[in-house]
Amino acid sequence: MLLSPIFILLGIFVYYPPMLGFVRAFYKWAPTREPIFVGLLNFRTYLAFPEASREFVNVVKLACCSLVTGVVAPFLMAEMIFAVRSRVGKEVYRYAVVIPMLVPGVVYTLLWRHIYDPNLGPINALLGAIGLGALQNDWLGSPTTALYAIMGVGFPWVAQIGTLICLGGLGQVSESVFDACLIDGCTGMRRVLAIDLPLIMSQVRLLTILATINALTSFNNVLVLTRGGPGYATSVPGLRMFERAFTTGEYGYASAIGLLLFVLAVILTLLINRYLRPHFEVD
Amino acid sequence: MSEVVLGASSRRAVRKMRSWQGSQAGLHAVIIILLLLSMFPVYEMLVVSVKNPLQYQHERWTLSFPMRFGNYPAAWEIVSTYVLNTIFVAVVGFAGMLALSILGGYVFARLRFPFREQLYFAIIALLSVPWVISFIPSFMLYHSLGLLNSRWVLILQNIASGPVFGIFLLRSFFAGIPEEIYESARIDGAGHWTLIWRITMPLSLPVIATLAVLNFISTWNSFLWPLVTISDKRLQVISVGLYLLSSEVFSASDFSIWGPLFAGYTIAAIPLALLFITLGKFYVEGLIESGLKA
Repeated sequence: MLLSPIFILLGIFVYYPPMLGFVRAFYKWAPTREPIFVGLLNFRTYLAFPEASREFVNVVKLACCSLVTGVVAPFLMAEMIFAVRSRVGKEVYRYAVVIPMLVPGVVYTLLWRHIYDPNLGPINALLGAIGLGALQNDWLGSPTTALYAIMGVGFPWVAQIGTLICLGGLGQVSESVFDACLIDGCTGMRRVLAIDLPLIMSQVRLLTILATINALTSFNNVLVLTRGGPGYATSVPGLRMFERAFTTGEYGYASAIGLLLFVLAVILTLLINRYLRPHFEVD
Repeated sequence: MSEVVLGASSRRAVRKMRSWQGSQAGLHAVIIILLLLSMFPVYEMLVVSVKNPLQYQHERWTLSFPMRFGNYPAAWEIVSTYVLNTIFVAVVGFAGMLALSILGGYVFARLRFPFREQLYFAIIALLSVPWVISFIPSFMLYHSLGLLNSRWVLILQNIASGPVFGIFLLRSFFAGIPEEIYESARIDGAGHWTLIWRITMPLSLPVIATLAVLNFISTWNSFLWPLVTISDKRLQVISVGLYLLSSEVFSASDFSIWGPLFAGYTIAAIPLALLFITLGKFYVEGLIESGLKA
């Protein structure tokens, strides 16, 4: 049968790992030794870890922030570009949004590390130049600002895939809807909230899911910018999973954290799907 | 936009449109400021990439002359291995995943067989499994297969997991091709391979281009997976290579390193920029699809 090569590969490399992860979360697991069943021990060890609660608080803060940076900012940017009347202008802006995304993700984060650098970066240089030297700070190195600095990466957060997705959604809305709004005197922010938002709710919902799940599970920025530091100030569960597996070799423990994050991600997705319903589907 | 507005509220509407026109200038200004702010990291990257140490020390935020293009050959010396590795992995991985995606897309779109929808659903369901759960076990799987620290760990991962989205994207496109075309080809005695190679492929070039761009972007950006699976620097890919390089550099307060390092960053952005310039529309579509996929 034609599909068999696909299912053989999928079976080994795509279906098997999550199942294995599910099972091995309950084992003591290291590369060279036989796995030993330990029940809930991995979960208990992690939750008893004094910094675990801080890691969850951090990840919740990052997720809340990502609703602004990953949903609101791209949505508003899309609305602004959509409101531009000249066709050429619209196209130019749409392509300009892509330019910052041409820099590979990790390089982009490394550039931000340079921006935050206390001695070399432009933020402190600018503060010094305008006489606000007192506000200069080691943005990533001080426990009070590091997490906020991580949230600030990508400022002003408008050059994202989300902007393109919202623009695509707005482009699909029929011209006559906007004409009707204009005649009824429903314009500006009122139209955006009452008409546009419900009409592209499926895109907004997608962005919400992407932003929250991404904030919950990915830790690239934390790894590159602070490695969870200073101390545990910016640590998140995903990073703990990574460190436990690849620096101390506790793969069972790491799988347990992975399973926790997986369950949280699934619950969040279901909740968002349930409560952010499009009022009327447009297809 | 029609200038003729009839009805009792016509004057109010016209006034509104005038003020709207005036606000267009403000709108452009806000958008341009936001875009310029977004471009700052790119600007920083390009400007610093042509600085010598003295220029970096004294004139960091503006373009300074003479520009030192020599940073680029210096950077290329270090990152060329990473760039070529990534291109190799991306091309081989894409070829494999495309072959399987086309095969799968064709079978699910064009053939009828029992449990077709169930099997299709079994594949599509994988799109909603967050990667965290498979990250550690995948590593252990490749470890036990003895594939760690080889290019195969990157290529196989793409070939095996890429078709999940590839089949999803191609199936809907293939399903839209009119059946009459296939019908007449079958009458001429064409088999499945001819139907795929001679009919489906040529008609689907745009969607294949989108898939290619999308796949290339994701391989080019891949970071965590190669970071943990590849320990031999000679096999490493571009994102990890630059990350390791910048970490070595970071402790040094030596200003001579920044120009070449930022030139290396720029080199890493060039392939994506070239793709964007040549395949602009597909690039944007690929980006949007990658958002839908994640």
